[in-house]
Amino acid sequence: MNLIEMNSICKSYRNIGFETRVLEDVTLHIEEGDYVGIVGPSGAGKSTLMAIMGCLAQPTSGEYILDGEPIGKLNDRKLSRVRNEKIGFVFQAFHLLPGVTALENVILPLVYARGSQGNVKERARELLAKVGLEHRLHHTPGQLSGGEQQRVTIARSLINNPRIILADEPTGNLDSKNGIETMKTFDNLVKEGKTIVLITHDQEVARHAGRIISILDGQIASDREVSHEEQTRSV
Amino acid sequence: MNFFSSLGIALKALLAHKTRTFLSSLGILIGIASVIIMVAIGKGSQQEVMDVIAGMGENLITVNAGEMKRRGGRLRLTGNVTTLTVRDANRIMDEIGEVENVAPFEEKRMVAKFGNNSAETTIAGSTSDFSVIRGYRLQSGDFFSERDAKTANRVAIIGMTTVKNIFGEEDPMGQVIKVHFMPFKIIGVFEPKGVDTNGLDQDDLLLIPLSTYMRRIVNQKFISRIFVKASSRQNIAKASEKIRELLRENHKLTDDRNDDFTLISQLDMEDLKKETTELFTKLIVGVAGISLLVGGIGILAVMLISVKERTREIGIRRAVGATRRDIVHQFLYESLIIGFIGGGLGIVLGVGLTLGLTHWGDWTLILDPNSIWTASWACAGIGGLFGVFPAIKASKLDPMEALTIE
Repeated sequence: MNLIEMNSICKSYRNIGFETRVLEDVTLHIEEGDYVGIVGPSGAGKSTLMAIMGCLAQPTSGEYILDGEPIGKLNDRKLSRVRNEKIGFVFQAFHLLPGVTALENVILPLVYARGSQGNVKERARELLAKVGLEHRLHHTPGQLSGGEQQRVTIARSLINNPRIILADEPTGNLDSKNGIETMKTFDNLVKEGKTIVLITHDQEVARHAGRIISILDGQIASDREVSHEEQTRSV
Repeated sequence: MNFFSSLGIALKALLAHKTRTFLSSLGILIGIASVIIMVAIGKGSQQEVMDVIAGMGENLITVNAGEMKRRGGRLRLTGNVTTLTVRDANRIMDEIGEVENVAPFEEKRMVAKFGNNSAETTIAGSTSDFSVIRGYRLQSGDFFSERDAKTANRVAIIGMTTVKNIFGEEDPMGQVIKVHFMPFKIIGVFEPKGVDTNGLDQDDLLLIPLSTYMRRIVNQKFISRIFVKASSRQNIAKASEKIRELLRENHKLTDDRNDDFTLISQLDMEDLKKETTELFTKLIVGVAGISLLVGGIGILAVMLISVKERTREIGIRRAVGATRRDIVHQFLYESLIIGFIGGGLGIVLGVGLTLGLTHWGDWTLILDPNSIWTASWACAGIGGLFGVFPAIKASKLDPMEALTIE
């Protein structure tokens, strides 16, 4: 079943009379459990595509169906709920709240979740342990290294048990060792059945994915499966 | 998201910037404190004036000969009217049930001499009821006797200011002073009484029997004033009306003629003074209100800066599922809390200063619970009002743009 279904998505920005078309007629389908890499040079429209996929922005035209639900018609409240319940974000710049402990950063999505969440601290602790940060629970982002911050972000993206993880250049701000660690974490998540969409300009990183979609000038240039040999070569 | 989570987030954000939070609430703090103190000063001065009026005589009605007109802020007698007499005073006393005491009165500024000392003072002629009505008490000596009044004896009771002016440190009791070349024996000394509502010194006085005054000093039949004490506060208006009717009848005034006298009761004086003090109160509350407005604008500025500074935080919160409404709440609660902090500290400061000034300073301040209540609402209102715009601005940020902002 298609978890993500994008049909003829267009996105343009209007700026004092000028219309900039960022995405043009993008159609793509992603199934549950897929590990998809989206590659392309900067300015190709990757981040805009992720923003629409992550319900952070609405397309100018076209149809986006996420988990069977058409997104275009949702109001802010419902859209926020979709982000909260179905999507976990991992950003290049980490985007953790400054001055707030790792534990509280991980809990943040639950603050906006519906209903009673049970023992949220325990769950956050487990997730931080899973990414190897059980000794860093009460550190603020400023006291953590880049790799550690990214792992906090990954823990945060998992706290609501989302269907999809959207990662935008997750290794962009990391050294190669931490980059490899992060990618291993994603590989493990795919094995657990998560759907991962990875945006990167780094072909090496993209090869972790089972499928690579290239974006060029706002359009899909290629969409191919990654052979097993390619994957093993990258590791 | 529930109320307490929003409140918690707002509190945490404010605690992270304690100095800024305090500074932004400072405007409200000063505004609220000044409202409370100003109102207390206004109330205090009003009470002082009321005390002075009451001190001029309880349930007092003054009948003045001629028409009184306000000139230069004070009531002054116009013209020279000769129709008011002791007979009027006697009839008021005898015929009006609501009247307790009556004292016909006449006065003149004259020079009094003792030895080589001389000073101008108010020589007043009245009956011994004068002291009862006007609230004069004797510090030493006695009032005039019936016989003093009948025989127009040359005896006098002296006010404190006149004592100081003429006798200095010497004891005036039993001494003889000269007024209008006539010797008067001091038989009593009044307790000090202070100034009246017009700022006139009520202790600058030499009281002699009215009969003595009329026969020996001025040789006239008419008087300029009658002091009347109504039996109760409720009866002041009724007594005034009856006095008016009686005097019109006594003076044979036909319907087409104006009164040839003027009645001023304690209530009239209170109303008159209330007007001025209320105007004063409105004025200072207005000024304090402006400072509250300035405080509100302070909150507005700080909140706008805060939204700008935390654009990325807003983006993060939106990305993990915060709705626009959640963001509005978060920032609105922040400005409300700033308002409450400022208001709370302002009330503490205002009440503290008011009590302190009353306790240790020479101030009459009266704390008005209403002003505290109003101030509480005002700070909540200002916090809310000036927080709405920044909060809405924050919620309208595009999440994606907010995340990518540098």
